[in-house]
Amino acid sequence: MLKHIRFVFYTELLLLFRRSQEWLYPVGFFVIVVSLFPLAFTPDPVFLQKYVPGCIWIAAMLASLLSIGNSFASDIEDGHLEQLFLHQTPLSLILLAKLSAIWMATQLPLILLTPLLGVLFHLSLQTIIALALSLLFGTPLLTLIGSLCTALTLGLRQQGMLLGLLILPLLSPVLIFGVAIVQQSQAALPIVGPLAFLAGFSLLLISLLPWVIAATLRVGLDS
Amino acid sequence: MFSHNTQLQISDLICIRQQQPLFAPVSFNLRAGEGLLIEGPNGSGKSSLLRILCGLTTPDTGTVHWQGRDIQTVREDYVNALHYVGHQNGLKLGLTAEENLRLLSSCSPYTPFVYGNILQKQTRFLSAGQKRKLALSKLFMTPKPLWILDEPLTALDIDAQTEFLAKLDEHLQQGGMCIITSHHPLNFKHSNVTSLRLSPC
Repeated sequence: MLKHIRFVFYTELLLLFRRSQEWLYPVGFFVIVVSLFPLAFTPDPVFLQKYVPGCIWIAAMLASLLSIGNSFASDIEDGHLEQLFLHQTPLSLILLAKLSAIWMATQLPLILLTPLLGVLFHLSLQTIIALALSLLFGTPLLTLIGSLCTALTLGLRQQGMLLGLLILPLLSPVLIFGVAIVQQSQAALPIVGPLAFLAGFSLLLISLLPWVIAATLRVGLDS
Repeated sequence: MFSHNTQLQISDLICIRQQQPLFAPVSFNLRAGEGLLIEGPNGSGKSSLLRILCGLTTPDTGTVHWQGRDIQTVREDYVNALHYVGHQNGLKLGLTAEENLRLLSSCSPYTPFVYGNILQKQTRFLSAGQKRKLALSKLFMTPKPLWILDEPLTALDIDAQTEFLAKLDEHLQQGGMCIITSHHPLNFKHSNVTSLRLSPC
């Protein structure tokens, strides 16, 4: 069973990397949105140091919205999801493997790019580390909550618009804590508190949401 | 090869679509070694019936019992005994044929029904018939008693159809069970296949 879950993870990554638009578009979108903020406000370094971390967080949220929308669509279209339902391995564990692969392909590149963007916008090393850590612990939540909303809206027309309306309000606590980490680090306060909260929240949802998403998909397909 | 006491009991199954029942209540009993051919014109609810039998759709009324117990309560046992090949093949087009086979057969060693040079190709480049063969291969990779097949012969060439039907016959002789929809006539030498015609309400 463990071997099968590992294989699902591997094939999901393989699929995502073979369809390079799946991870390349969100990364491109992320970089462009972040670089629009200094154009819209002012390129003043002091201003940027203060506000760019928040902009990076918002861009990451919007990019995740872009990448999460069709995570189950192809599985339904080719009938693969039915086969997963009828597999010996519990669907929730398969979904956990799939979602981890999706997170690795769509969110990890953003986290890896953050130091580069930080240097570009004159952020201090300490801020960059805090920002990257906050994204590392916060982005799993973007993938998980996004997938849940995708599963809930399966089969609806104009799903993309509705997804934004559903996902973004649910993600606002993640944004608040994510940005709080960076602000505390900039104010030379300890960041362990909000970081631990974000990590704990991530762990809670990692252990809980695959079951919920599995149940939602089951109901969604039952028609 | 398979146990001789396996039993699938279906009683008074109804499927409702848009407030209309699709077919008159269906009841039958399937034992080890028996096959059931479901017939009916297009849109008569054959595929919906098969989805109910797999447990993918909840029936509006009626029950499906495996070994005397409802399939939702013995879900794990039922899934372990069941192969379903639906209308769609369930293959990932971006994976190669070999990767798809490994994904379908849970990494058990396989003896595919299709062979040769197509294994390394990405599935998107295969023909409809080759994809169908690939999807059907899982039946022979992991032996399970109950096969539920939705139009398995579609897109297969004559040779492959003959070969597949021979294997199906062999499966039934070994004590397997099969529920199948098909527009092709099924003539078996050895096994007993009853047919069920879905009648509209």
